[in-house]
Amino acid sequence: MTWWSVVRFLHVLGAALWVGGQLSVSLVLLPLARRLLDEQRRGQVLSAVGRRFGLLTAAVFLPVQLATGVAIAWHKGVTWASLAEPGYGRILAAKLLLFCAVMAAAGAHGWLTGAGRPRLARVMAVTSLVGSLGVVLLATALPAT
Amino acid sequence: MSPVDIRIEGGRPPLAPPPRPRASWHLRANAVVVGWLALTVVAALVGDVLPAPRWLLIHVFLLGAISTAILIWSEHFTVALLRVRTPPGRGSLARLGLLNAGAVAVLAGVSAGPWQVAAAGAALVAGAVLWHAGVLVTLVRQALPGRFGHVVGWYVAAPVALATGGVLGGLLAADVGHGAAHERMQAAHAVVNLFGWIGLTVLGTLFTLWPTVLRTRMADGTRRASRLGLRLAVPGLAVATGGLLAGWRWVALAGLVAYAAGALAALVPLADALRRRRPHTGAAWMLGAAIAWFEVALVANAVVVATRPAAGVAAALEPLLPLVLVGFVAQVLFGSLLHLLPAVLGGGPARFKENAALLERGWPVRLAALNVGVPLLVLPVPPPVMLLGWALVLGSAAAFVVLAVTALTRARAASWRSSPAVAGVAAGCLLTAAAVVVATTGGTGPATVTVTGSRTVEVTLSGMSIRPAVIEAPPGTVLTLRVTNADAQRHDLRLATGERTPALAPGQSATLKLAALGAAVDGWCTVAGHRAAGMTMRIVPTGTEISAHAAAHPSGPARLDLAAPMSPGWMPYDAALRPAPGGTEHHVEIRADDKVVQEVAPGVRQRVWTFNGTMPGPVLRGKVGDVFVVTFVNGGTMGHGIDFHAGATAPDGPMRTIQPGERLTYRFRAEFAGAWLYHCSTMPMTQHIANGMYGAVVIDPPGLPPVDREYLLVQGELYLGEPGSEAQVAKMRAGEPDGWMFNGAAAGYDHAPLRAEAGERVRLWAVAAGPSSGTSLHVVGAPFDTVYKEGAYALRSGDPGGAQTLDLAPAQGGFAELVFPEPGKYPVVDHTMRQAEAGAHGLFEVSGS
Repeated sequence: MTWWSVVRFLHVLGAALWVGGQLSVSLVLLPLARRLLDEQRRGQVLSAVGRRFGLLTAAVFLPVQLATGVAIAWHKGVTWASLAEPGYGRILAAKLLLFCAVMAAAGAHGWLTGAGRPRLARVMAVTSLVGSLGVVLLATALPAT
Repeated sequence: MSPVDIRIEGGRPPLAPPPRPRASWHLRANAVVVGWLALTVVAALVGDVLPAPRWLLIHVFLLGAISTAILIWSEHFTVALLRVRTPPGRGSLARLGLLNAGAVAVLAGVSAGPWQVAAAGAALVAGAVLWHAGVLVTLVRQALPGRFGHVVGWYVAAPVALATGGVLGGLLAADVGHGAAHERMQAAHAVVNLFGWIGLTVLGTLFTLWPTVLRTRMADGTRRASRLGLRLAVPGLAVATGGLLAGWRWVALAGLVAYAAGALAALVPLADALRRRRPHTGAAWMLGAAIAWFEVALVANAVVVATRPAAGVAAALEPLLPLVLVGFVAQVLFGSLLHLLPAVLGGGPARFKENAALLERGWPVRLAALNVGVPLLVLPVPPPVMLLGWALVLGSAAAFVVLAVTALTRARAASWRSSPAVAGVAAGCLLTAAAVVVATTGGTGPATVTVTGSRTVEVTLSGMSIRPAVIEAPPGTVLTLRVTNADAQRHDLRLATGERTPALAPGQSATLKLAALGAAVDGWCTVAGHRAAGMTMRIVPTGTEISAHAAAHPSGPARLDLAAPMSPGWMPYDAALRPAPGGTEHHVEIRADDKVVQEVAPGVRQRVWTFNGTMPGPVLRGKVGDVFVVTFVNGGTMGHGIDFHAGATAPDGPMRTIQPGERLTYRFRAEFAGAWLYHCSTMPMTQHIANGMYGAVVIDPPGLPPVDREYLLVQGELYLGEPGSEAQVAKMRAGEPDGWMFNGAAAGYDHAPLRAEAGERVRLWAVAAGPSSGTSLHVVGAPFDTVYKEGAYALRSGDPGGAQTLDLAPAQGGFAELVFPEPGKYPVVDHTMRQAEAGAHGLFEVSGS
């Protein structure tokens, strides 16, 4: 139990909140909102949820994830060159790329919602969710040393 | 009868409205078939990446696609032809699910293990099709006598054939019946499944499908032809299967001829229809071509059975498989689906026409490609031409799959709006898959390894194991593997890095040259089920974590409990040495066996490799100048040999390795006195000796004085674990036995002491079998007054000196004599104390005279 455990804990916790939050919204909130609320109220609630989640992402999740992630990588001795090597480096690189794609999809979801393209926005939301699961999958594939 | 007529139109409407319209059920069911077909194309394309490429390709296609299709369509046709009520959809779905679950279990169990999964899968498949047959029989009973009832006989016989073939397949996966029996079973499995399950179903279906496809009426003699055909084909197939199983070539051939006669009888009305109406659609041409290939396959099969011994049939049939699979089976499937899918897809006459046109798109080209490709797969053509054949065949198949999928999705599209969730999931999965690909593909791969040397290793495939199971070499070594199949059935060797031997017939060899050794490489036999049964090997660079781990932590029981009692019923190897028999020529038969299980230490029973069923083997005793005529029989499952140190002969002949079932005569004259070792002469000798293939030859020195008692102890090392297993071999290579044994049991004579009386002169003969350690034999409390070692007396009883031990290096022998001074228990030990404490320990129980 060192300070590095705390850093890793924050990183894992951030991921859990981000993925878990998306899953809760998609699997619990959305179906219930569709069933229980009328068109107008639903729009209000969902856009409020989306704004709050986006705010949390930008203000808390992203900074924490980036800071702790960079710290862990530095602690592990990851360099730019080592990202190309098979094994730890390559899996990490793939995970980072996928994470960027997920963030892009999440951003596109917010933008498309605002631009009044709900169907495409929904596609992006689900893409982001499934991609996040892929990030978690790759994280579990990182060799633990 | 128009193509639409063949759809379900029961005489009576179903009582309860089905939850989904029937067409939808067929649509879904046929999507399973198309899915299996797509998997087949994928399996063919990825090929060598799969653990058992050829087997998987065949079974994904036949067990997955074809069996599912047969299950669906034979029920469908039965219902339509008998004009009975459709059986409950839930049962059909359950049977389909059962069959597919069984198929998946078989595929997984055989390619990845354990074999129990495959056997359970085979049982599921057999159960599903027998249930199916039962349902068909019930339907026939319900139906009023009609014009088409005769067809159902074929549909009932076919599942019975698959149940038989499935049971045989399960036995094959479980490796019941090794060697020649395995090959015979495989031949029977292939014949009963292809000609029974598929052949009978197809013949039965063609009675109605063929005239429908040709758009002509059914010939008059159809019913009679069908009855006659069935009566000939089914018993013929049963006889052929039995004949192949039992190895009776002519019985099998007679059965096949009867089957062929039945098939011909069934084809007569079809030819009749052909005379009335020329084929004009893709479906008709494909079905016609398929029937032609079926006949070719029948003739070829009969020729193979007639010209080969039963054990060689499976190997000889294998090259013909593409002909049957592609030319006959796949083409029948494509032809039938081409005709039936538009009807199943439904959607009104306009949609029907549209779908039919879509599926028939470019059919002459597809037909030509397939049928030009088939002979290229079978004939001995150069590899590029064969590749062209595969390209033609697979291109044709892929075209059909694409068209069918298009038609299916088009049908679904009517009821299915593209949902954002599905699109999102698809996009997310694609992104993740791309990331996983980036993560796992090596790019440049492991860093290039500098070549440091080269080495050739003999690798033997036999008895469900690969020997050596572990090859260690310094990193950078260029290894050349000379792979020999020493088994009585076919094997191959394939390495994870991609190198592979062709399938090797018994006795055949092949050479694999590997790239410079970098990381550890796994190897295995790709014959179905063999990897799961333990036919694996590993090439490990020395000094790596893996090799250090293997040496430091050999698996298996940690310690022997030598004080524990031997199991009830255990009989000690008789240490009392009988005098040499009279005569100067001794005839002995020695039989190698590698299946015996023996108690090697208290409570520890394990497989050992033996001469005449015991470790150590029988004792041969004679006088100087005696001639020994040894008939050596290999009754084991791998190559063995024998080497008598007591004889003088060039090793090339009598000491050569012989294969299972072979025998040789080893004649030697014992020119010299001494206690001699004999042992198995097959490499790797560490394994053959350490697993028990050794024994003693005692040649009395001239004038050997008589004594009161003579005993013989053959000392050997004990390595726990399955002979040839990775962990056991690692211990042998490291020279770290788990124990030491006198006459094949660690501490055995502690539990069954050797008897003597006080004042008696006892002669204790000893041979150190090793393979890696000798002995320093000592009797606690009784010094030796005579020591004879390696052909010479070191000490005689009249001498003033005495001796403490009889010391023998590996493979040396001799005797010592002693007189027990008084009654008591005298331990006899190897005074190399760690060896004594690990089992080289026994007792003399000396009673008063």
